[in-house]
Amino acid sequence: MKSKRLAIFAGAIICLVDLSSCGTTSFAPPPVTTELARAGARQHVDLATLHEGRALFTSRCIECHTLPAVSQHSATEWPRLIDEMAGRASLKSTQRDAVLAYILVAHSQSP
Amino acid sequence: MKQRRLLCILILAFSPSVSFGGLRHFTFLYEAPTSARGSVELENWVRWQRITEPDRSDEVDFRHELEYGVTDKFQVSVYLADWFYEKNRGGAGFTYSDSALELIYNLTNPVDDPIGISIYAEIKAGDRLIELESKLIAQKNLGPLILAYNATLEAVWEGNDLAEREGEFSQAFGASYEISPRISAGMELLHEFVFPEWRDEGKIRNLFVGPNVSYRRGNWFVTVTALAQATDTDDEPDLQVRTIFGIGL
Repeated sequence: MKSKRLAIFAGAIICLVDLSSCGTTSFAPPPVTTELARAGARQHVDLATLHEGRALFTSRCIECHTLPAVSQHSATEWPRLIDEMAGRASLKSTQRDAVLAYILVAHSQSP
Repeated sequence: MKQRRLLCILILAFSPSVSFGGLRHFTFLYEAPTSARGSVELENWVRWQRITEPDRSDEVDFRHELEYGVTDKFQVSVYLADWFYEKNRGGAGFTYSDSALELIYNLTNPVDDPIGISIYAEIKAGDRLIELESKLIAQKNLGPLILAYNATLEAVWEGNDLAEREGEFSQAFGASYEISPRISAGMELLHEFVFPEWRDEGKIRNLFVGPNVSYRRGNWFVTVTALAQATDTDDEPDLQVRTIFGIGL
């Protein structure tokens, strides 16, 4: 009985190590750097909006799921995705606009 | 009747909001992010457990919880009722256990900061039970992987005249991997140090480990964890399965 439980425990540890070794290449979304701010200015998005959008993206969206890379969806897909989730994330319309603005600017800078 | 009235009052009080409080990737661990300001969620917990030593018994526990985001970093929950169904040699039946108030404050973010940290406090009271619980919640998000750790201290007074006392320190570790936008799977590990009468004479240590899976859609989610006991402690479940079903109001 004890050896069976030890086997379960060992199996779980192996699964954990396996899980932690894959798919962890993209972590935090791009920070608001001078370069990103310049790209934002070209798209008529001010610095405060970029900061607000990123802060909301990294706090509200993780209440339900992990953060996708900004390059994971196209610039035409993002508005629909944000619209779908804005209500669930309790985003007001100005906050929804800020999140979308940040993502689109970051997306335009992604390789 | 009393519970229904309380539920109505709480729903009316929080009615300006219709958003989702956030889902759980784990059922035996808490996560660092708190609910968005103004969001309300109803969570129903069900746990089945089987104990085989010294006697076989089955128990099913239920919890109905309302969760409310007071600010973006502070969350309040009310356990409307904890109750259970127990079946053993002595018979079978339903029993109300307790109700509780839970507070969680978020300090740091699991994506941007090195570790996301929240602190947790809970007070639980019933006919024959008073329990105080505090918890340190740590979490790190690494792309699609969520790693979580909880350290919990519990003090319990129970039984007639609340004469039986027990302390417990537990650590829980969990990993959850987002397979698709709707599905996550991983594992949870729970390590308990139990101190009956706040003494460590019995050296009671329990270790539980097992897989979890979470599914979300629209404004609801369901998360299930099955834990097997990896130690050999009497009166502790050999197998337990906990399910949390949450819905945004």
